[in-house]
Amino acid sequence: MRYVINAMRMNLRRAAQYRASFWMQTLAQLVMTFGDLWAMLLLAERFGGMAHWSLHEVMFFFGPMQIAFAITEMINRGFGHITTLIRMGSLDTMLTRPRGIAAQVILSELDPRRIGSVAVGLTALIVATRELGVCWTLPNILLILWGMAGAIALMMGLFMLEAVVCLFSVQSVEIVNVFTYGGRQTCQYPLDLYPQWLRITFTFVIPVGLCLQYPICHILGKSLGGVEARAWVWLSPLAGPFFLGLMWLLWRWGLRHYRSTGS
Amino acid sequence: MQTQENIIEVSGLTKRYRRSKGGKGFLGLFRRETEIIEGLTDCSFSVNRGEIVGLLGPNGAGKSTTVKLLTGILTADSGDCRVFGLTPWLERRKAAAHLGAVFGQRMQLWWDVPILDSFRLLRDIYAVPEGKWKRRLDELTDALELQNLLQTPIRQMSLGQRMRAELCGSLLHEPELLFLDEPTIGLDAVSKLRLRDFLKRENADRGTTILLTTHDMSDMLALCPRVLVLGRGRLLYDGALDALLRRYDTLHTLRCIFDRETTLSGLPASVRVQREDEAWTLTFAPAEIPVGEVLEKILSSGKVRELTLKEQDSDELVARMYGDMKLA
Repeated sequence: MRYVINAMRMNLRRAAQYRASFWMQTLAQLVMTFGDLWAMLLLAERFGGMAHWSLHEVMFFFGPMQIAFAITEMINRGFGHITTLIRMGSLDTMLTRPRGIAAQVILSELDPRRIGSVAVGLTALIVATRELGVCWTLPNILLILWGMAGAIALMMGLFMLEAVVCLFSVQSVEIVNVFTYGGRQTCQYPLDLYPQWLRITFTFVIPVGLCLQYPICHILGKSLGGVEARAWVWLSPLAGPFFLGLMWLLWRWGLRHYRSTGS
Repeated sequence: MQTQENIIEVSGLTKRYRRSKGGKGFLGLFRRETEIIEGLTDCSFSVNRGEIVGLLGPNGAGKSTTVKLLTGILTADSGDCRVFGLTPWLERRKAAAHLGAVFGQRMQLWWDVPILDSFRLLRDIYAVPEGKWKRRLDELTDALELQNLLQTPIRQMSLGQRMRAELCGSLLHEPELLFLDEPTIGLDAVSKLRLRDFLKRENADRGTTILLTTHDMSDMLALCPRVLVLGRGRLLYDGALDALLRRYDTLHTLRCIFDRETTLSGLPASVRVQREDEAWTLTFAPAEIPVGEVLEKILSSGKVRELTLKEQDSDELVARMYGDMKLA
């Protein structure tokens, strides 16, 4: 535990070394995420909502997804840079140390700049809450947190999948980005706005829908694509940790077959 | 506990790599031909507590593969490998607590924070108690002359300072076994000598077992009574460095210039004679023909104006050894 805390402090100190750069990049993150929100607002405003969703309901989907993705990126920069870790031999070094590799990879590089995106997501959620008159009862709060946790686990699993591929090709694989960044882009809107195949993909193959969207529907008291969100939404975010677990096994298998580089 | 305990035991260790030949052109994207490369083949040896053992061999001989298998970075294809009685890649975390590793061309400390911060994080990674860590840190900063560098990040250090810092980091948790991969690469003469002294002391005072790879023959001579010679993934020699060097008896080179045109004859065939303008070069092994005998022949052939006798240096010797073992 002391290791985790000290490693996090070290990451902050490193960020503090390049202070100007840190704040500029945090601001850039904020502006970019705000751009996403802005585009959505323009679209929804123009057409008076989207299908059976009002502007503020769409915002209610956007907020938690952005927060969850930003937190995932904060944690997952190390896995995102796995190619560099392999090339520099850092992964070899980690393997000579008496700690789990996944933990070491994560703690090697945290990314506090994503706080900008969290701020925008949170703003969207607060605005939507006030406009929709959503009541934050304890079950609702727990449900949204649980849903976001599921989504974070799921996306961490995706980053891990990408890292496993990198163990063998020593090259970043863009195909997985279709699901990570594409997933964020897709799932910040209600899924029933999309064609069936996309909806199925993001509900069952990469179950972002199960993790976050149905719980949100439950809180809003609405159905998604004709499916009524009932008490089972308390279980569906389990898809996230389950997916992460599978990817973790794959990661362990990958390390067994890791070939290292250079001398 | 202290005496004659095998802390590394390896038998029949084998590691193969599959390398893609990278098919030609566009088709290469679909069909890949692979070839098997022997990283290490049927390797067996053991190391006692307190030994310093050198791993010797040309590039690609399997030195790094051996170190990576022993540290649990790689998984072997077959064979048995025990470090402290543990199979490194199966019980990696348990084994890792007992060992330290420095890879000469790689950074193990964090690049852009003061090294003291790195050392603190290492304390937590290895779960070293605060008091013990502090004492060890004082000891090491003293021995490695790092006192004034603790607040400096690695990126601002010279190569020599960097290596000392890396060594300090790898020894903070008092490992019983230390792996060093080319620790003196790129260091100046003074730094090299200091590093060797430090390693010798570490070994003598604490009984730390050291396994090191180096291309520097003088490192070997100074540090390693025992060497393992690897070539093409096979263990070719395991034994005393002295004995190996004696086997590759040092060659002597005698260079001389006569006052006037002379012919040299009557030398045994084992003496190689070369001539370039007026300078003669004779190469021979003193074990086969004594230096005196060669000198006598020369002196009796004519009036000598210049004469130098040179002993072959250790690098040439290694080159010859590799040549003999068909490695070069």
